[in-house]
Amino acid sequence: MSTHVAEPTSPGPAPAAPAAGAGPAPTSGRMRASVLDSSRGGMWGWLGQRVTAVVLIVGLLTHLVATHIFNLGHLSYLNIGDRLGSTFFVVIDVSLLAAAIFHGLNGARMVVLDYWLQSRASRLALTIALWVFGSLTFVYGTWALWPWISK
Amino acid sequence: MSPVDAAATNVGAGNWKGLGMWAWLLFRIAGIVLVLYLFAHIGVISSARWSSRHTLNSAFTLFDHPLFVLLDLLLVWAVLFHALNGVRILLMDFGLGIHRHKAVFVVCMAVAVVSLGFFALKAFSYIAAHHAGGLGGLI
Repeated sequence: MSTHVAEPTSPGPAPAAPAAGAGPAPTSGRMRASVLDSSRGGMWGWLGQRVTAVVLIVGLLTHLVATHIFNLGHLSYLNIGDRLGSTFFVVIDVSLLAAAIFHGLNGARMVVLDYWLQSRASRLALTIALWVFGSLTFVYGTWALWPWISK
Repeated sequence: MSPVDAAATNVGAGNWKGLGMWAWLLFRIAGIVLVLYLFAHIGVISSARWSSRHTLNSAFTLFDHPLFVLLDLLLVWAVLFHALNGVRILLMDFGLGIHRHKAVFVVCMAVAVVSLGFFALKAFSYIAAHHAGGLGGLI
């Protein structure tokens, strides 16, 4: 079955009659607005979520395979140091940290906006608070990895 | 609702809609689990910086327990489901496979299940090799 984008095919005598169940013209306008509004997080949040998704797919695959398929059973402080001794894993781990924090907090933000915070001001406050929290977490996470990276 | 709106809101309708609700719900639950895990993970790894490398190593010893290995496997499933359902969403954003929505979902889930198989194999052989009595170590 194909999805039919209905053409006004009916040459009937009453072309002005709307399809069954359709409301008056203003409803159509509101409908369109609500479709656009379904990505309430905004264009940049939407785009950032997709860009970080791609980073996470590549990075997490590398991270999980390296840690659990090839190194299983040998996870220790020194073992982390072995991996973070290579520039490749420093790039993977630090970009994973940044992408995961953004993706996770932005995703949580989407959930919150689906149910709460109707006003523009409260949404902006949430966004700012999450940026501050996420940035601090990124700095903290990099600080935590630093003894391994700098060795 | 205009015909264009009606068509747009019904893309992939039919068999997809019931399944789509579950995909959406599990995607969201997995996402929430993963964001909680992310902060727990950052907390555990950073413990080495607060105290000593022994703190981190003793945490790893705890995570060696078969129960934690099984929880890891659940976590891997959350990652795989979320990632592969995310791939489906990305494909839909580009309009790819939009008329075969259900088939795309099934293929994505098949990839997720096969990938989980590799991790499950590794996890169970690890438990068998490192804990005498295998899963009996749980009790």
